[in-house]
Amino acid sequence: MKSSRTLGLVMIAPAAVMIVLFFLMPVVLTAVFSMTNMTTATGISGGVYQIAPNSLIALKSAMPEIATEMAEPRYTIDEAGLKAVEGLGLAPGIAAELRAKHTGEVFPARRDVERMIKDLAERPSTREVKQISEQFNRSVLNTRFDSKGQLFSALDGLGFQLTPEQKEIVAKTTYTGWTWTSDNFSRMARSPDMARVLFNTVLYVALVLTLFNVGYALLLAILTHYMPPTPASIFRGIWLLPRITPVVIYVLLWKWLAWDSGFISILMGKFGYPPKNYLLDTAYNAWFFVVLINGFIGASMGMLVFSSAMKAIPKSQFYASEVDGASRWQQIRYIILPQMRWPILFVTCYQTLSLLASFNEILLATNGGPGNATEVWALSAYHTALRNYAGNLEYGLGAAMALVLVVIGVVLSLLYLRVFNYGTLVAQPLIED
Amino acid sequence: MTILPTLKSLTIAAAILASSSAIALAKDVHISVWAGGTGPNDIYRLDAIEIAAQQLQREAALKGEDLKITVEKKPYSAWEDFKQALTLAAEAKTAPNIVVSGHEDIAPWSQAGLIVPIEDYVDLDSWPLSDIYENLLQIASYNGTVYGIPQDAESRPMFFWKPYMKAIGYSDADLDALPQSVQDGKYTMKNLLEDAKKMQDKGLVQPGYGFYPRTSNGPDYWQFYTSFGGTMEEDGKLVFDKAAMTRTYQFFADAVKSGVTKKNHIGMPGDQWWKEVATGKAGIWDGGTWHYARLVNQEGLKDFFGNVIFTLIPAGEGGKANTLTHPLVYLLTAGHDQEDTEIAAQLVKIASEPRTNALHAVKSAHLGISKSESTVDFYSADRWTREATERLLPHANAMPNNSDFGKYWNIMWKNLEASWTGAKTVDAAVGDAESELKSTLGDKIVIR
Repeated sequence: MKSSRTLGLVMIAPAAVMIVLFFLMPVVLTAVFSMTNMTTATGISGGVYQIAPNSLIALKSAMPEIATEMAEPRYTIDEAGLKAVEGLGLAPGIAAELRAKHTGEVFPARRDVERMIKDLAERPSTREVKQISEQFNRSVLNTRFDSKGQLFSALDGLGFQLTPEQKEIVAKTTYTGWTWTSDNFSRMARSPDMARVLFNTVLYVALVLTLFNVGYALLLAILTHYMPPTPASIFRGIWLLPRITPVVIYVLLWKWLAWDSGFISILMGKFGYPPKNYLLDTAYNAWFFVVLINGFIGASMGMLVFSSAMKAIPKSQFYASEVDGASRWQQIRYIILPQMRWPILFVTCYQTLSLLASFNEILLATNGGPGNATEVWALSAYHTALRNYAGNLEYGLGAAMALVLVVIGVVLSLLYLRVFNYGTLVAQPLIED
Repeated sequence: MTILPTLKSLTIAAAILASSSAIALAKDVHISVWAGGTGPNDIYRLDAIEIAAQQLQREAALKGEDLKITVEKKPYSAWEDFKQALTLAAEAKTAPNIVVSGHEDIAPWSQAGLIVPIEDYVDLDSWPLSDIYENLLQIASYNGTVYGIPQDAESRPMFFWKPYMKAIGYSDADLDALPQSVQDGKYTMKNLLEDAKKMQDKGLVQPGYGFYPRTSNGPDYWQFYTSFGGTMEEDGKLVFDKAAMTRTYQFFADAVKSGVTKKNHIGMPGDQWWKEVATGKAGIWDGGTWHYARLVNQEGLKDFFGNVIFTLIPAGEGGKANTLTHPLVYLLTAGHDQEDTEIAAQLVKIASEPRTNALHAVKSAHLGISKSESTVDFYSADRWTREATERLLPHANAMPNNSDFGKYWNIMWKNLEASWTGAKTVDAAVGDAESELKSTLGDKIVIR
């Protein structure tokens, strides 16, 4: 017995690795990212220390004099620089000419010193000019330091008299990378738009789930249950079409239906109505189409699950009820629905979770419009973290939004299990080990 | 009989070249270039690099080097997809060597270390870079360092459909004077809405087609903010001018309320918009100088100057007439072999030569980047580029190169859309924008 258990663990190991890599890690990483202020500007892999004019603006309020001094770019032709140039292995005339003609000169900007270098008799190439000018750089401005240590030693080297606290302030204001923060959550809590997006999400999930994914799916299953087998199969097949059509094409068909130049506009034009974009005309219209587009896809899954579950109900129960004179409605109420608890739990739970995370149909149809009326949480997280016109992708905030979705999903799953009393639904296996 | 000596010297030269190149190591370089917002008219953003590669190979051959450059080109028609792809590729160290993007990306990308300063690889004092307009080079700089080489310039004018303007009472002389009266602040945003309404009332255009602005987010909307007195940045700090933003949001809310702009205008299919403005379905609209190329080449508007007049964006209350230039820039990405990056920089430099750049300017109806480009006959003979350069470019602003501008932009746009569609009142939208800007940017933005 014991060996078979060990073997079982070994057999399941690849799957366990997969689960950790592809299911657990994304959630863990999302949680980690959500505690950062990561954006395009901070990068993902970490930052450097750069005393640039823009960071000096922030430093100015804390240490005005030091900030002004740091803002001074200086290029000094001194002996140390000349020695360094000699060590570069360039034409020997270059260092000699610099020493003879330019020792002691100070240039305020890199461009100025480079112009002088380009005027040397043995004109160096552009790459060499940059190498030479760097040897005379006696300023920290616009230099990127990989670590705090390098930054501090450069500051010390240039004679800045800074206390350890001041150094830390400089390091903090000049750091270009991301830092740990819980601001994303407070931003979410305070933002009126986030509240609206949350409301949109609840509305979206509730409408699609109750009207279509469960309600309409159940109706379809019951209707086809009472149909002869062939028409029932054809009917179910038709309802599967939205599910099996590629989503881009499926949404495009809806757009052709609802656009200014689409079918509805053309049809209504025959009755004298001017063409309009029915899809984005008002928030109500947009919601109407968003619910239909998603509902038509979602209904098919529930329909299949419910249909097969109904087939499992012993026929004898229906025959007996007919003999007793039960109506169709009574059959549905007293035979079908009571035995559908498990499939309804499964479909409700599964579809809630998939609706919470799904946004591709909305992205393609309305992109959250008009005026963010159909922007749901998952879409908003996507727009924030990965796709917006301005190109500033806020990975940290987007991850925090995604994490909220994960938490809601987990909480809802637990809630469903409790409400539907999962323990009694899962029968004890008959074969014990 | 001079042909013989010529032939002889040519043969010798060829022999020397052949032998020297045989000795020199053959070098195969692969340079990839991606360009955002690039439709069929803008293909020289990529092709210019290929032309430059030809030139550089020839120069190398003369120096006895066997240099073979393969250029891999990738156009992206939309901006969102492009920026997502590029940012993620750069983070994964698989970015192309050269990127053509908006100048506003320089700040965040350079801060994140995704791009390297082009001034480290090219001599800005040498031609053709020394000839590029100084203000464009400024726009391509961040922290006092030149990161990119402007690939084009442009501006974003207001367009009027001439026949309708005449039908509501403008004479030819009035129309000829319109650009000047917009520039002088005599023709304002208020007049624009009135004229749009008149066009609709007379039945010249359908309701909602009087003023037909851009259908999606874009730099255009900052022009309206400027027009109503707004400032985007001051002394390196972003600025949110509440009064100016209120007037901007109100303008679009009023346009919708008076029925000259559709409530559901944002998000409509782009192709439909193009077709409608090209066929006179719309009365007044805003767009970019490059729209000329699309209207004339793809949308079949043959007599552009007979049908359309263009001006600066008129002044609104508290502001002045303006336009915005949004140069795309050639940028070099980090993480490549130094030599490859140097070659990429050389290609950018050669591609910026006036005649090569003029190919892009004329084909795509963008504006030139250098002084000598306007002396290239091919460029100056083109009426559109000439007139647009003269009339618009001197009044052009640019968006700030600030690593936080993208966040500001997203918040500004989101609330503009909400007030436009009536999802929020103008005051609520401005209030929400203000509170979100405060919690997002803190003291990095001045709110007044």
